Amino acid sequence: MNHLFFQINPLEGFFFGSGKAMVVAGVAIIILIGLGLWLFRMESRLQRLNDALDQRLNDAQNQPS
Amino acid sequence: MRNKHGIAGLAVFAIAAVYTCYQATGMHAERESWNALAWVVLLFTAFNAVSKPWADDASNMRSFLLHTVKPQDWLLARILYYSLMLLGLGALIFAAFLLFLGMDPFTGSGALFFFLGIEATALALASLLAMIQALAARAGGGFSLIAVLGLPLIIPIILVSTRYGMDIMKGIAFGDTAHHLLFLATLTGGFTALGYILFPYLWRD
Amino acid sequence: MIQRSWKIGGLALLGYVLCMIFFVPLGPGLLEFTSTGSAGHVQDQDRKVTVYALTGFGTHWTESPDQLTVVLRHGTQLASLPLIETLDATHVLVGMDLPYTVPSKSWDVLVTHPVDGTLLLENGVFLQDRFIDEQTKWANPEIAEYPAELPFHFPYQPQILETIRNLMLHVPMWFTMFLLMGISFVASIRQLSTAHDLHQDTKAEASVQIGLLFGALGLVTGSLWARYTWGAWWVDDPQLNGALVTVLVYAGYLVLRATIQNIRLRARLSSVYNLFAFVILIILLMVLPRFSESLHPGKGGNPGFNSYDLDSSLRAVFYPAVLGWMMLGTWMYHVRLKASSIERKLRQLQ
Repeated sequence: MNHLFFQINPLEGFFFGSGKAMVVAGVAIIILIGLGLWLFRMESRLQRLNDALDQRLNDAQNQPS
Repeated sequence: MRNKHGIAGLAVFAIAAVYTCYQATGMHAERESWNALAWVVLLFTAFNAVSKPWADDASNMRSFLLHTVKPQDWLLARILYYSLMLLGLGALIFAAFLLFLGMDPFTGSGALFFFLGIEATALALASLLAMIQALAARAGGGFSLIAVLGLPLIIPIILVSTRYGMDIMKGIAFGDTAHHLLFLATLTGGFTALGYILFPYLWRD
Repeated sequence: MIQRSWKIGGLALLGYVLCMIFFVPLGPGLLEFTSTGSAGHVQDQDRKVTVYALTGFGTHWTESPDQLTVVLRHGTQLASLPLIETLDATHVLVGMDLPYTVPSKSWDVLVTHPVDGTLLLENGVFLQDRFIDEQTKWANPEIAEYPAELPFHFPYQPQILETIRNLMLHVPMWFTMFLLMGISFVASIRQLSTAHDLHQDTKAEASVQIGLLFGALGLVTGSLWARYTWGAWWVDDPQLNGALVTVLVYAGYLVLRATIQNIRLRARLSSVYNLFAFVILIILLMVLPRFSESLHPGKGGNPGFNSYDLDSSLRAVFYPAVLGWMMLGTWMYHVRLKASSIERKLRQLQ
């Protein structure tokens, strides 16, 4: 790569010049997948909690009558 | 309904603030500081003006008024009251600035156009702050809530005003910078209309 | 299940975007055109000329070096310069053999090469030691413009360079915030028109919370980008101030909610404030930047990237990025909404 470019922007020369972009992309994609899994799990747990609550609310309404 | 002492107090506050600026910058201030200080003093005076609660913010008074007056009219009355007060205070602040800090930044009829800008800003502030004051009072948050809600919301007004003031001081022709005033007028109209629609929701129990 | 598939689709889009961000190379460009201060001979000429060094970025000048042409341009005036030596793929020496009388001081540098295509360095050279006569007219040499013959790459832009990749992160953050605040705006209107049910209010709150998250991310990515292109973490600019103030306005919304105890009153008052907040958002981010000059791209027009700046390779990643982030934002909003409404039911049960 280009020596002048390193001088202008050392971080970027370091980043793309040393082949570390792979690692960063890998980490970013793992974080993305982790976020997705976490959201899916959270959603299904919330759904179950919601159903249980609806059940309880129904019972509470039906009991006095 | 509001006492005279309140308004006199505001006038004293405004003049004291201008005098403090004079002490800080001295006579013949740079136009940048002149411009900045004028808007900051106007802003703080406006916030001070709306910080006093209205008698009808109390709930028994409100329920009485609900049966006698349309809430929309009540908001318009408040905006009108704040507008008149801020127009007066704006004129006072501007006169005090001319007296203490001098007329150096202005060329030709610049001072007159700057005064126009102050009055347009006063109207825009009145139309927005009347609504914010009612909202904060209804939420029971007091002055700190007015500041938290109001300060970010008025920033577009202040941005336009400072830019207009700087243009006038740079000697740019009024016709080339008048769109700032038009924008302020649009904001005033927009906030009043929005408040007019929304005030009843705020007011009823 | 449709429910699940659009969420997986959104994640897949973002995965594609991340891969493209990190693996697509940047196209070639010109960095510098400076005098070396020494004099040299041009082939088959006796006269000595000043030698200039041309520095490229990611260029391929060692491949067929004899087809490289360097041309100076001012308006419609063109003058081609003779090559002295090709040092490596990104450095060549050029002889400045213009006559003493030239029509202008500042010139654009145009470089044509069969692999890199036509590259431009705007106002790349500034001639100090010449006589300026604007009437001078030269016979224009014939030059052909090539497109680059390179695999898929992002366009080179001066100053921005590799940070062009941030376009896929920074801009969609604000679009997603717009979308979420729009959802909140609609929910607030519906809350005001239905008095008894508080579901719309929960919606408005959840979308503001997620929208604020995206707004904060937009500020962070913008700040990083500003550091690398303008040299400061924050600059005084209408667009940036507008963005910060918008975030503050919506933070005020959450403060207002925290102040009010009565849930019905809270729903009503915060809806009223939210309508004001959305109007301010439109003014700050879409109206005001058009009134004033700004460093931010798209000055005096579209506050985002100008469509002329987005070439097809950027668009192939940018549009999926916008869609992907919006899907992720909406999904997060759905999860947050579900959690909030469960909280509300729990309180109802107590």
